[in-house]
Order: sequence, then C-alpha cells, then structure tokens
Amino acid sequence: MELSLLAPILVVVLFGALAAGLWVGFSLIAVGLVAMALASPAPAGLVFATKVWGGLTVWDLTALPMFIWMGEILVRSRLSSDMFSGLAPFTGRLPGRLLHVNVFGCALFAAVSGSSAATTATIGRMSVPELTSRGYDPRMIIGTLAGSGTFGFLIPPSIILIVYGAATEQSIARLFLAGVVPGLMLAALFSGYIMLWSTVNRSRMPEAEPPVDRRAAIRGSARLLPVVGLIFAVIGSIYAGIASPTEAAVIGVTGALILAWATGAMSWAGFADALRAATITTCMITFILAGAAFLTVAMGYTGIPRQLAAWIGEMGLSPYALLAALTVFFIVMGMFLDGISIVVLTVSIILPMVVQAGIDPIWFGVFLVLVVEMSQITPPVGFNLFVLQTITGRDIFSIARYAAPFFGLLVLAVALLALFPQLALWLPGTMLSR
Amino acid sequence: MRSFLDRLYQGALALAAAAFAAIALLVLFQITGRLIDRAARATGAPPPGLTVPSLAEIGAFLFVGAVFLGLAGTLRAGGHVRVTLLTRALPPAAGRVLGFAVTLAAAGLAAFATWSSAVQVLDSWRFDSVSYGMIPVPLWLPQGVMTLGLALFCIALIDAAVALARGRVPDFQAAEAARGEHA
Amino acid sequence: QTAWDMPTPYGDSVFHTQNIQQFAEDVGEATGGDLTITVHSAGSLFAHPEIKDSVRRGLAPVGEVLMSRLANEDAVFSVDSIPFLADNYDEARALWEASRPLVEEKLAEQGLTLLYAVPWPGQSLYTQEPVESTADLEGAAFRAYNTATERLAQLMGAVPTQIETGDIPTAFATGRVDAMITSPSTGVSSQAWDFTDYYTDTQAWLPKNMVIVNSTAFDGLPEEQRQAVLDAAAEAETRGWEMSEAETAEKIATLKENGMTVAEPSETLSGELSEIGHTMTQEWLEEAGDEGAALIEDYRAATE
Ligand code: NA
Ligand code: NA
Repeated sequence: MELSLLAPILVVVLFGALAAGLWVGFSLIAVGLVAMALASPAPAGLVFATKVWGGLTVWDLTALPMFIWMGEILVRSRLSSDMFSGLAPFTGRLPGRLLHVNVFGCALFAAVSGSSAATTATIGRMSVPELTSRGYDPRMIIGTLAGSGTFGFLIPPSIILIVYGAATEQSIARLFLAGVVPGLMLAALFSGYIMLWSTVNRSRMPEAEPPVDRRAAIRGSARLLPVVGLIFAVIGSIYAGIASPTEAAVIGVTGALILAWATGAMSWAGFADALRAATITTCMITFILAGAAFLTVAMGYTGIPRQLAAWIGEMGLSPYALLAALTVFFIVMGMFLDGISIVVLTVSIILPMVVQAGIDPIWFGVFLVLVVEMSQITPPVGFNLFVLQTITGRDIFSIARYAAPFFGLLVLAVALLALFPQLALWLPGTMLSR
Repeated sequence: MRSFLDRLYQGALALAAAAFAAIALLVLFQITGRLIDRAARATGAPPPGLTVPSLAEIGAFLFVGAVFLGLAGTLRAGGHVRVTLLTRALPPAAGRVLGFAVTLAAAGLAAFATWSSAVQVLDSWRFDSVSYGMIPVPLWLPQGVMTLGLALFCIALIDAAVALARGRVPDFQAAEAARGEHA
Repeated sequence: QTAWDMPTPYGDSVFHTQNIQQFAEDVGEATGGDLTITVHSAGSLFAHPEIKDSVRRGLAPVGEVLMSRLANEDAVFSVDSIPFLADNYDEARALWEASRPLVEEKLAEQGLTLLYAVPWPGQSLYTQEPVESTADLEGAAFRAYNTATERLAQLMGAVPTQIETGDIPTAFATGRVDAMITSPSTGVSSQAWDFTDYYTDTQAWLPKNMVIVNSTAFDGLPEEQRQAVLDAAAEAETRGWEMSEAETAEKIATLKENGMTVAEPSETLSGELSEIGHTMTQEWLEEAGDEGAALIEDYRAATE
C-alpha cells in the first residue's frame, strides 16, 4: 500500500481509538494491527508476542517500579511534605517560589534515573499534592512538571543516549558528558520562565507564606535533610561504584523505608499501600510500553519512518536547513510514537546524512534527546502526559496545553544548541581529551 | 462468582507486588555482596564474590511476570490511562453505549494478545527454548506467566463489559470518577 | 517478487553489518530484483535476543545472530568460545570447518538453514593496570556475560561480575568492574580508551556471527533464487573472514593511536592462559558428549 494512503489511515485509527476512550496501550496495539494487516505479510500475532516479550524483558526497566515505589513511600511517610515545608523559607524571595522545586527536583532526580516517566512519576507524586494544597496554579504545577520530567533523558544516566550510542557506535561516556551542560541550561531556561511568569501573573500566585525568623528557618531546614540526604545517597552509590544506575533505584527504596520507619511514620499498612500503588503505576506505564513496542515493530515493517527520513535526505539541504527539517520530522513522529522508538527506527538512515553534512555525531545525540523530550509532552502519545493524567486526574490534552510553554523552551534549547554546539561538546572534549 | 473474580484480580495484583519486592531483595543481596568483596579487598582477604547469578535476566523475568499479572488489578483500580473527553461530552445513554463498545473492543484485543502469547509459550515449550545467561531458565515459564496475566486481563475486561451491558458501573469507571476524571 | 526483512543486531559501522549489506545487494542483483532483502540493522526491527526466534517463527525470513548466544541450547554453539582452543585465524577456520556440519544439523532441527558465519577479531583483555600474569587479576572484578566468561574469570582468580553493555563505561569509571575481554572492534566502537588504558592482545577466541534463514522460506524460493542466495552467502563468508582479519590489525592500531598501551601477553600469562584453555576444553567435552569429542578430534587432526 502507498505510504501517502497508509500514513493518514493510521493517524485516523489512532485518533479515533483514543477519542472513543479506548485505553492508550490498546489503541497503540490496534494501530499496529491495522498497519501489519495493510502493509506486511508477516503474521501479526506472532510478531506481537515476540516483540512485547522481547521489548519488556529488559533489566533496565526494573528501575521504574523501584523509583516509583520510593516516591510512594516518601509521600506516605510525610517526609516529602516535610521537605516542602523546609524549602519554603528558602524560596520565599525567588519569583515563582516553590514552583522551582519541580525544576530542581527533576534535575536532581534525573541524575539518578535514566527515564523521563520515572522522573515525572516520582517527583510529581510528591510535589503535586504539596503545591496544590499551598494554592499554586494547577496549570503551572502540571506544566513545569511535564517539562522538567523530561530531564530524565538529558541529564546522565540516560536510556536514550545508551540506545543511540549502541546503535551508532558512539562512546556512551562522551554522550553522557555531552548531556550535562545542555541539561543544566534547560533547567535554567525553565526556572527563568517560572520567574517571568510569576512576575507577570502575580494574581495567580498564592499568598506569600508568612516570613519566618532565622531560627525557625534553620529548624525547618533540618527537616529537609532526610530526603535530600536520601537523593544524594542514591547518586553517591552510583559514583562510588556500589550500585549500577539500575540497582541504585533499590538503594532509594531501602533508604526511604529506613527513613520512614526510623521517623515512625510508616506502618505495615502504609508499606503495603505504597507497594500496591507503585505496582499499579508500573503496570499502567509498562502496558503502554508494550503497545508502543508492537507499534514500533509494525512501523518497521511498513517502512514509513525509514522512507520519510530518506525523503528528507534526498532534499539535499544545508546543515541548518537539515536540522530544521529533522526537528519538524521528529516533532511530528513524536506525536505518534515514543521517542526511543523513533531513534531506533530512523537512526540508521539519518546518521549518515547528518555525518555527511559535517554534524558531530555526539552533538547530534544531544540534539536527538532534546527532540525526543518534546515527544514526551506532545499529544496524543506522550509518556509524561500519561503519568501526569494518573497523578492529577486531568486529561492528556489539557496537560499538553499546560506544557506548551515548556515545549517552546525545548525548541529554543534546540536552536541554542545549534547556534552554540560547544554547549554539548565542551565538557566531553575537556574531560576526555585524548 | 463476583467475589471470586474480585479476589482473583486482587490476588494477581498482590503477586505482582511481591515480584517487584523480590527484585528489590535480589538487588540488595547483590549490592551487599559487592560491599563485602570491597571490604575483603581492602583488608587483603580474598573476596568471596557473592553475586546473584543471572540477576539481570531473572530480574527482567520477574518484572515482565509482575507487569502482566498486575494488568487486571490495575484496570479494576482505574489505573490504565485513557482519554475520556468524548465519553464525558456525550449524553449519558450514548456514553454508556460507547463505553460498552470500547470495553468490548479492548477485550477483543486482549484476547488476541492472550492467544498470541499462548502460541509463543507452546513454541518455547516445543523447542526447549532457554534463556541466554548463566542459569538457563526455560522460557515457557515466564512467558506462561505473561499469558496467564493477559488472560486474566481479558476476563476482567469482559467482566466490565458485562457490567456495562447490564447498566451497572464497572469498578474502573467508579475509580476514574472518584479521581475526578468524570467531572 | 519476494521481499525479505533481515534483522541484524549490530550498527551500520560494524564490518559484519557492512558485509551483510553487500550480501543483500548481491542477492538483489543476482536475482534481477526478484528477491530483495531489506537489512534492519542495530536491532531496529528485532533486538538481538529476539532475532533467532523471529527467524524460526518466520516473522523475518533471514537474520544474523551471535552463534554462542545459543550456547544454553546446545554446547556445540559455544565451541568457538572456548578460550585458547583456536586463537588465530587459521585455527579458527579449521575449527569452523570441523564444527560446521554439526552446527548445520542442530540448526536444521529447529527449521533453520545456515547461510554463512564470520568471526569477530580475537577476544583480548582490557584493563586499567598492566597484566603480567593472572596474579594481577587476583580478586579483580572481571566482566562476565555468559557461562564461559564466568568460568574464565574464576579460573584466572578474578571475581566474575555482570555488567550490561550500556553500563560498561560507568562501571569502569566507578570501579564496579576492573577488566573485560572483548574484540578490538568492540574496543574501538565503544571507545574503550575513555575508560581503560591497557590492551593485552590475548586473542583468546574468535566468536562468530552466523546468518541463518528460515528453512521453509528458503525452500519455498525458486531453484535459481536459492542458488543466488547460496552463491552470495559463500562470497560473503570469504569476504567476511578477510574483513575480519584486516580489521584486527587496523583496530589494534586505532586503540594505540588513542593512547592505549598495547602489549603482547607475557610468557607467564600465555602459559597460565593455555593451562586454563586446556581445563575449559575438557569441561566443554564433558558437556558436549560424543559428537563434541569427534568434532575436537577432527579439529586436532586438521591443525596437526
Ligand atoms: Na537521567
Ligand atoms: Na508525543
């Protein structure tokens, strides 16, 4: 079947299924089935089982339930609300106040977690109830979280960079280092936006919390210590070589349990409830991942992503025009597929043209992560949107609307990265100079 | 029947949670072994090299098993994400019909998934397929758990479709409403 | 007109993949476009663990897989991963000739037809400190990724440590692993100089990638297309072995250029390693039974 006919059919099926209220995972499976039926002689049933089994039997995924579990324990033990009370006096003078916790929290947590979904779920589970009860604008709470959650991919460790490095034979060590400065830049952009927004929209900010004297602030900051200490223990366990990034998640769970029990805030019922909640969230995310794995292989059979990428290659564009075209391509693909799938499906076509245009492959890895981050917050298929729907109960299209400014900032970051390639290349060049 | 099914979904969800906890325990054991090795090396003693063999593979099998066992319980708790904009905008009667159709379609897709997963189990059984790591795990075992989980998910969806057809509110809709998704 | 999808595990810059691209082109040309093969490299259609079963089930008619990945199914698939049994190209070729009929037979039992196999360059040691003898690896964390490497680590007195591929740079940088054994190709592609300093050229074994085809799909082709595939496969095998051998010297030079110290194994180390090789050959023979013993006998006869 002609692609010009097949692609629109698949888009209609996806939107139709989602709009009718079919669960996201099933909608992806349905589109995959239609694609296989129309475009490939391969037996869809066997492909489904093989790919879902293979795509989910992945050790790195085990970090997902662990981090989510850690978040659930912290929420139930009041450790997380202690942390917000402790932080409040310090952010009091900063325009935007506690909203910055979403940005800082996600940036810090991203140094532990390789995935955006885990970052959004863990930080969001703690910050949404806290910020809501303090009267912050829900649209800003959700938007900052959707945007900042994507740091999980840019700040090392990063699943995307591992996938890209493995497929293109680039050094994962260099890719990780290349992601650090752009990650910090993005955090600065997000914080800058929060300051700007809160200055312009004073009326939509909650009343300032009453000023506290210095002694009370210091006493309050002691309550920060447990959770901040826990996050540093998790990061430290990776850098001290005690745990791999995947294993470090278990350090987080164990630490959270110990803290919760030590402060007398955790009962057996609370323990079981936290584990149950983490199980449900993990099952939800992973079932969508299963649908995405099947849709990805179906797209591989149809050849749509390959042909679109090859079509861009044939246009013979200048480097900047090529990057602009690829950005548009990834944004459109990112609406329908998850980011890792797009990288897997197209990198073998795209990398040669990128290298031919004289673009550094390490730089391109960071570029890819930024565009993949955008795909996390564009509807209808965006994992941060799904996670936030579960946490906030709002639908994914509203969440995507709240996240739109941060999508814009991601586009701005891509432009900055293209204008100043050293943002990505300086750190690996300095640290690994051979 | 009602309470039997509910207990089945709950039991499978509890098993899933237990499997996640088991992963945590295995990883803790691995980390402890590494710390002991490190301490031994620091004191000049031979490191005992305590590790969990094939941890990455066995952990991944536990993960997949847990996820599929938990699907039905997650549905019942309203945990699976979907877009309810349209169903909310429709008049109640039309919304119920659409909800029934969608649930039935999901049950059909789950039946397809169960069938294809079962074929995979049979294949692995016939060919004695084993995993690649240091402990050769027969693949039909974790793949069988995946199939069971999918079958239970399918039953839970049919269960919900029947409830809708009889004009009752299935558990997942009640849970969604409780979270404020049906404003 | 027949269109085949061909999943392969490695990236486009790996010589195995380049060889396969050429193979696919040759088949297309020889059949006048009646049989086209689309190569899906780097696990983009099916990932490495899924490839063999996808070919067996006919989801993709043809694919590439590391032979020793199937070691748990039958010991014969790991004969090319016994350390120091065949540690140069001539011996590796003789071992392949001796083992090929049995490998083909075992694959046929699964409904698979072997087209060809090409070795990786020999597996050598990557460490952060020089290795003069196995005493230098005493108690070190040694990366093991299957039963054979686990046993090798134990026999060297090291602690076998499981590290996933993507985790290797972090594991070295943070001290979770001290040594690994892999080919110069993988050393270069993973830019091993970013996290290790010493390369000890043991070339302990030359593991092979094999290209397999679903027998039903293959037998369903018209006679002349079948022949075209077999001809292209024979050429790919010859070409691949040459590429592999050329690659060894080239990639070692690249490791050196990037500041790694390249060393031949010392006499002490060589002696200890061949002792370990002997032990592991014996252990393999116990596992592989009579057909394994006959295989090794054939191999010994050819190399004497
Ligand atoms: Na990260
Ligand atoms: Na998206």
